[in-house]
Amino acid sequence: MAKKPVKVTITYCAECGYEPQTLALTDTLMRTFAHDISSIELIPWYQGSFDVSVGGELVHSMYRDGGFPEHEVVVDAVRARLAQSEGAVSG
Amino acid sequence: MGVSRERFESGLTYEQWKAQMTRNRERHDANEQGLKLSAEDLAPLEGLPKPVNVLMLAEDWCGDAIANTPIIGRLASEVDTLNLRVFLRDQNEDLMNQFLKEGKYKSIPTVVFFDDDFNELGRWIERPDSVTKLRAEKQAALYRDNPEFGSPSDTPDKLPEDARIRLTQAIAQMREETKPFADREVVREIGEIAKGIAAKG
Repeated sequence: MAKKPVKVTITYCAECGYEPQTLALTDTLMRTFAHDISSIELIPWYQGSFDVSVGGELVHSMYRDGGFPEHEVVVDAVRARLAQSEGAVSG
Repeated sequence: MGVSRERFESGLTYEQWKAQMTRNRERHDANEQGLKLSAEDLAPLEGLPKPVNVLMLAEDWCGDAIANTPIIGRLASEVDTLNLRVFLRDQNEDLMNQFLKEGKYKSIPTVVFFDDDFNELGRWIERPDSVTKLRAEKQAALYRDNPEFGSPSDTPDKLPEDARIRLTQAIAQMREETKPFADREVVREIGEIAKGIAAKG
């Protein structure tokens, strides 16, 4: 019944001053999930990007969805991925 | 709402702006020192019939601000016709909200020109469109010529780390190579604004 820890990737525009939002989301994920997160990868990028992938699936894109994600949206996506993995392991 | 003389004068001088920077100062100063200005570049500014007040919104974490505020600063220091004051965007939202790009984006640097009574004479925002266009074309070519970089529409986390590092380096190199063009375009556009102001008397 073990959950498979999830990798989260945050790609942020490093020349747009998005570090506070990146670190705030990272903080939320670390405190909420502890070892249920396998790693959090921060990718400094360009062009106003702020993209969040959970287990390889893009769950928020500034271009696609506009703005920064609500933390709850990312937390819910991680929970869903963990539940999925639990089901897969137990099933 | 507008901008009062008192508010304008409360802004940072260019030297104060530089002194308060907590990041990117080295790159900022290199951009300032590397800028080559000719008498022809300065002529439109020297041709202004009266001194112009120049309000610039910026932040030291912004790439476009680090590239272009030194150009505005150098121009203002080379002529007697530009009275420059700098305001930090995130501490002066009331000013920023008056000069949003396309009415909605808090783009910086934003440079606003005023007459002696603080009537707006002109506005310059972020970077020249010609620079955005050239860099977009060159970036598209990078992807076209290097299939290992994947598609521009893919997020970079899809790339293997070594390819992502090479892509980051290639973009940085492309930007460096296009910098002289970008600088020339900024100087030209500011000159065009000055010519427009002079034409109106």
